[in-house]
Amino acid sequence: MEEKIKITLAQISCKREDKAENLKKIEKTMIKAKKQDTDLVIFPELSLTGYIVRDQIYELAETIPGPSTKIIENIAKKTETHIVFGMPELSPKTHATIYNTAVLVGPKGFIGKYRKMYLPTHSVFEEKRYFRPGHQAAVFDTELGKIGLIICYDIFFPEVSRLTRLNGAQLIVCISASPATRRAFFETLTVARAMENTAFLAYVNLAGIEDGLQFWGGSRLVGPNGKILVQAKYDDDDFVMCDVDYADIRSVETFVPTLRDLRPELFDELKSQAKNL
Amino acid sequence: MELTPSVLNLDWQEVETKIKRFIKDYVETSGAKGIVVSLSGGLDSSTVAALSALAMGGSKVLGLILPEKETFNAKDIEHAKNVAKKFRLKSQTCDITPTLEAFYKTIPIFDPAEKVCKGNIKARTRIVYVYYYANKLNLIVCGSSDKSETMMGYFTKWGDAAADIYPIMDLYKTQVRKLARHVGIPKEIETKPSTPALWPGQLAEKELGIKYEQLDLILYGLEHFMKSKEIAEQLDIEKQLVDKIKHRWLSAEHKRRMFLTPKLEYRTIGTDFRLPRSNY
Repeated sequence: MEEKIKITLAQISCKREDKAENLKKIEKTMIKAKKQDTDLVIFPELSLTGYIVRDQIYELAETIPGPSTKIIENIAKKTETHIVFGMPELSPKTHATIYNTAVLVGPKGFIGKYRKMYLPTHSVFEEKRYFRPGHQAAVFDTELGKIGLIICYDIFFPEVSRLTRLNGAQLIVCISASPATRRAFFETLTVARAMENTAFLAYVNLAGIEDGLQFWGGSRLVGPNGKILVQAKYDDDDFVMCDVDYADIRSVETFVPTLRDLRPELFDELKSQAKNL
Repeated sequence: MELTPSVLNLDWQEVETKIKRFIKDYVETSGAKGIVVSLSGGLDSSTVAALSALAMGGSKVLGLILPEKETFNAKDIEHAKNVAKKFRLKSQTCDITPTLEAFYKTIPIFDPAEKVCKGNIKARTRIVYVYYYANKLNLIVCGSSDKSETMMGYFTKWGDAAADIYPIMDLYKTQVRKLARHVGIPKEIETKPSTPALWPGQLAEKELGIKYEQLDLILYGLEHFMKSKEIAEQLDIEKQLVDKIKHRWLSAEHKRRMFLTPKLEYRTIGTDFRLPRSNY
């Protein structure tokens, strides 16, 4: 396993409902990233289809594996690079049950997927109308270290990131489609989740405008001490890279030993209180 | 939440940037050649015209000045022309009086004393002109409605609020004034009383029965799910007044949400046909 890796935050805008066009954009970005010797390229939430596709989601969703993941796997193989991207995943057992899913593929093919657990259904969001929530956190042991996947609104619930960390995640990847009015929340929460878990956190947000909704971009890589190591520009497409050295986790984890100091008995209390809200 | 005028403060540079991106993105992705806006010389239309010009370049923005004899106001026309000049947008003037008179003459039940019905003809006639230019020149119609008027239903259905995009509809009137100042709208336009110009001497605040400074705070409270009693206490006003505003806001939903039809089939327009706005 590599201790030092190079990560690319591929902050893109998507052409809504046009998978072929978005796949082309992903491939083009991958070729550019490959030229700069990156190990992992991360694209935003639902980057295969765009975020606001409403009822068209039933036409766009695909199984995993499926035609689009096959194309992404080939791109990963060709560029010898790992990729995280987002897509609407059709359950293979049903005809219209869809998950909001993050997919991780590597040069050797499909590695794993994570189905978003917290689906925002308030304000401009209507995810519960379309998606079934996932039921478990996801961490994958890869050549690039242990990578945990979370999606956007999951970051408001510390238990999702915490679960990935307790399963060994050194890098938490959060893909997102966050509109500009939420920027202050994410700028704080991305730092908080990295610090409280003493892990690297890569946040990749959508850019551009969909149906009048402006996504703020601002993708960032946060170190385990909460330091922002690199940040993409606001609002527009951008492409930033950053080196990560997992050895940095050790010194932070000893300095602020949040994992050592965990109190499991409080989780039982949390569970019973949450049930009675 | 403390309901003071400061809650309406925003970062005006950021607001300007967001609105300009919104306008530019919509025009470009729709394949249109620019923007057309009905330019009355008032605060809202001047601000929208200026923002459009700042977003697209003035040469891609057409301000239509649409006077008619009953509400003709030389000062308003001068203001509209000043805005056009300052932001280098194109303008054209059409006197709509003969069209209006044709309506008055040919509607058998027309009653000049019914000033709202008559005034609405003016608002709807103006939009017919605007859409003609939009169709002919492949332009996007930019609406000037603000949040205060739209929440209050203070507009003509299928009239002044008919447009393709509404760049300032998420800003209350007092916020539009601040944005106008920020983008450089002349002070005499920023501070002059609003009027829909449907009949001579019509003033928005007089008709609404409340100053925008107070109305906007009431609406802001309602937007943030505050209860009437709470709003009234905070603003030190009668709860009855807040209830009246709330009632007017709720009862005008029919003007804001179009296409009401009985649910008869599988997916229905206006209810559960939920499609993205795409520019195919």
